[in-house]
Amino acid sequence: MAGLATAFGSGAMTNSINELEDVDVVIVSGSNTTEAHPQIARRILAAVDRGAKLIVIDPRRTALAQEAHVHLALRPGTDIALLNGMMRIILDEGLADDHFIEMRTENFIALRDQLFKIDLDEIAAITGVDRQLMHTAACLYARAYKSTFCYCLGITQHICGTNNVQTIANMAMLTGNVEKENAGVDPLRGQNNVQGACDMAALPACLPGYQSLADMQIRQKFKQCWGVDVPLTPGRTVLDMTHSGHNGTLRGMFVMGENPILSDPDQTKVQATLEGLDFLAVSDIFLTETAQLAHVVFPAASFAEKSGTVTNSERRVQYMHQVIEPIGECKPDSTIIAELAERMGYEMYYESMAEVMEEIALLIPIYGGMHHDRLRSSWGLQWPCPNRDHPGTPFLHKHYFSGGKGHFTPAQHQEPFEPPGDAFPLTLITGRIYHHYHTGTMTRRCASLNRESDKALLQINPVDATTSAIRNGDLVELTSRRGTIRLWAQISEDIRPGQVYTTFHFSEAPVNLLTTGAADPIAKCPEFKVCAVKVARVES
Amino acid sequence: MEQILTICVYCGCGCGVYLGKENGRVVASSPSRNHPISQGNLCVKGWHLHEFIHHPERLTTPLLRKDNKLVPVGWDEALDYTARRLSEIRDSNGPDALGLLSSAKCSNEENYLLQKFSRAVLGTNNIDHCARL
Amino acid sequence: MKETTVILAKDNLQGLLRKLGRDKSLVAPVTNQWGDTLYTEITDIDGTELDLSKQPQASLKGFFFPQQEVIQTYDTTAGYEFTPQRHIQPTLFFGVRSCDLHAVLYMDMIFSSPERDDAYFARRQDTTIITLACTTPFANCFCNATGSGPFMEYGYDLQLTDLGDRFLVEAGRQQGEQILQAWGHFFEPATEEDVQLQYQLSLEAGGRFQRKVEVEHACRILASGEVDEQIWQQLSARCADCGGCAYVCPTCTCFNIRDAQQEPSKGERIRSWDACTFSGFTRMAGGHNPINSDHALQRRFLHKLKYDVEKHGKPSCVGCGRCVDICFGHVDITTFIEAVVED
Repeated sequence: MAGLATAFGSGAMTNSINELEDVDVVIVSGSNTTEAHPQIARRILAAVDRGAKLIVIDPRRTALAQEAHVHLALRPGTDIALLNGMMRIILDEGLADDHFIEMRTENFIALRDQLFKIDLDEIAAITGVDRQLMHTAACLYARAYKSTFCYCLGITQHICGTNNVQTIANMAMLTGNVEKENAGVDPLRGQNNVQGACDMAALPACLPGYQSLADMQIRQKFKQCWGVDVPLTPGRTVLDMTHSGHNGTLRGMFVMGENPILSDPDQTKVQATLEGLDFLAVSDIFLTETAQLAHVVFPAASFAEKSGTVTNSERRVQYMHQVIEPIGECKPDSTIIAELAERMGYEMYYESMAEVMEEIALLIPIYGGMHHDRLRSSWGLQWPCPNRDHPGTPFLHKHYFSGGKGHFTPAQHQEPFEPPGDAFPLTLITGRIYHHYHTGTMTRRCASLNRESDKALLQINPVDATTSAIRNGDLVELTSRRGTIRLWAQISEDIRPGQVYTTFHFSEAPVNLLTTGAADPIAKCPEFKVCAVKVARVES
Repeated sequence: MEQILTICVYCGCGCGVYLGKENGRVVASSPSRNHPISQGNLCVKGWHLHEFIHHPERLTTPLLRKDNKLVPVGWDEALDYTARRLSEIRDSNGPDALGLLSSAKCSNEENYLLQKFSRAVLGTNNIDHCARL
Repeated sequence: MKETTVILAKDNLQGLLRKLGRDKSLVAPVTNQWGDTLYTEITDIDGTELDLSKQPQASLKGFFFPQQEVIQTYDTTAGYEFTPQRHIQPTLFFGVRSCDLHAVLYMDMIFSSPERDDAYFARRQDTTIITLACTTPFANCFCNATGSGPFMEYGYDLQLTDLGDRFLVEAGRQQGEQILQAWGHFFEPATEEDVQLQYQLSLEAGGRFQRKVEVEHACRILASGEVDEQIWQQLSARCADCGGCAYVCPTCTCFNIRDAQQEPSKGERIRSWDACTFSGFTRMAGGHNPINSDHALQRRFLHKLKYDVEKHGKPSCVGCGRCVDICFGHVDITTFIEAVVED
């Protein structure tokens, strides 16, 4: 989100999900939308049926790519080069929106100067994308009045993830495709409340509502409410914690509802770190791989056993009603936190979650009008919603960017951290499949879903399969510099030669044993999407 | 069968789902027709949202490691022990020797409370979640 | 004129339902605060407003054949011991449309042969269904094309027709007759004029369908020939594999059974809805699937429009139209029928 925040002043979907039905051109990049965000794919396909043009940027021939008017099957990790190439074409064709650039943006000269140095043949060589296709896509995007750019983790989980996002923002601003309905830049959020967790500042470098840790006035506001001074130094990111090493300076952790043993890259390192802690407490609904290492495990109430709000990808804050009482002795996480706080000498008593929300509304300006009584009886409100009378905001940046003027930040192509070579000749791409979700803690325990998909598959092109004498359905070993996993081969033309694809839902084939810990220097997003591997059939 | 509206816990779309309750158990999931996102339909994960709630492997009591094994204990013991260990580490190694991971699966209120716990009770900004993952 | 045809003044409806709800739970369409209309169990008849003007978003299927239910518990401590779990809840359903009742009659048939399904009939027994004739079909409805509406001709306990300030009430089965006898003071005799008005409304309802779906034509084509391969591929390409069509369909009755272990020797045998569109429905243990993904929808559409016609003489689609809006890819049964007929 860092990239979008730099460009637009706010890191969230600029449009609403339903606006996607009325776009003229939509680019989808690094997102297997039909499987990971079915409702968004439905809007995109509805737009296509209405006559909109669809451009898919993805190394794989995804289901959406098969419906696309233009599919740019780039080499993994070359998004910046491709988009820079497209922007150069837009400039050359005179399709830049000069008026928008003049009125609403700054630092365009830096981008222009960089784009003029680009050689399009070189771009074609780097990305593996045909120049003519690139040209078609660029013109489609730039000529339409309402163009939207959707992206997902295929953009952010690279060592250059922040630059990738900034480049997308550059292209949107270059063509004036922001600050209006049905046009914008839309990062698709992968989890039901990832937006909310960010908004609430379960983040190390800001206070709730993305407010500055260093601003004296804001610190004073929090001090008044919380009764204590907020620590000034930004904290550690998730990888700074889980990769801090055995017997590092991190001595104790409390993990609420996450499973870093499966979700974080370089599993060996994560395991060593967690095992070396003096104290690890985990709160979860199942005994996850991480909970198994803990000193204390709290049985948490599931979503059906408590009430509260969540914020979706389009910034819509929605109320979840409690359905049943907590099972067994389970307690909601809120109770567990409050009980710990009391025991550590800090009064944290709230009569209800509505009271917590009132404190949130008081401290976070964009949540200022979000109260449970408003949210319970409606379909929720989209932030910013500064006061009780405010109806919420379906699309962002109308009239002006929240950070003032939109900022162009030129970026250059950067090779992935671990390119394939002689020893590890294939590029591994990771992603999600339709039937499962993240580390599988929940979906693997849904009998119907697990029947549909019960084992990890490795998509491999027939050419590579033949080279390694692999048949469809064979058990294969996939090895990177960090480890080996076993999974089943699925021969498919949807993946290109030299690349293989698998998912991260299966604890019996933990892909994070293979992926690199290399991360984007600003967003600290690990490069999950690209690493070098080799594959071999397991002799029975 | 009572139908209670909630929000799907999987991806960031945020579909409106009715959970069907019978004899205290959640036994059905179905889409809300008027919800702005679900508009009457759900993906395969949403249609099976109820299936993990009563899974026999659900944790139902606190567990505490004793003799290198996790054994069931009462809430007070688990909470007292945790509060004591967190205080000890904070007092001997400083607050930044502690780290917290919150969850994109938990509610806004819970995320807010955990970061408040981190900043106001423990005294560290070492809090993050899996947005990057 | 039918034998037992009476009039119920609308003002008397609440009083009648209160009486009928004494020894049964009462379920009727209610629109909630979010605008969703659901068949809802009514516990406070004075504080609940029925909504007979909208189609409930789910049919009655889930009441008799729930999405998930424990049908047995098992204990293997000393041999195999199974204890059936039966849920009996006497219920009166009010305001049911003819498509939904036709679907219940179809389920009664499916679950009674070759073996009687005890779990289903435990829930089904002792239920009364009062239908409401459709004078204004909903946007996606096509029950006129499937022979299951808009007015019931048989199979109902009581059928009500809205005549403005009053309902015309017809008793179809014994249970309906019993209600009329037991609570006769709520009713008054119907005049010839009332019966003529009902007939007029049924004529007009037939002309109010917004969709023309050529079900019979499609059935005839399917009975005699193959479907063009391209149709299957085009439809399957847009199928999002959600299973929603089968789940929302009032006549889709496929299920899966699994055992969930609770303790080492004890557990529950759970039945849950299944969909023939899922690949796991036909995938074999070794991973081979005789039906490839290009034909994911084939089983469902042919079952409804070909095999059931061969077996029972009519299609098992009741034309309720619920699968139309629920489909992610607009590849519902009406799209299929159109494609077959055009071809």
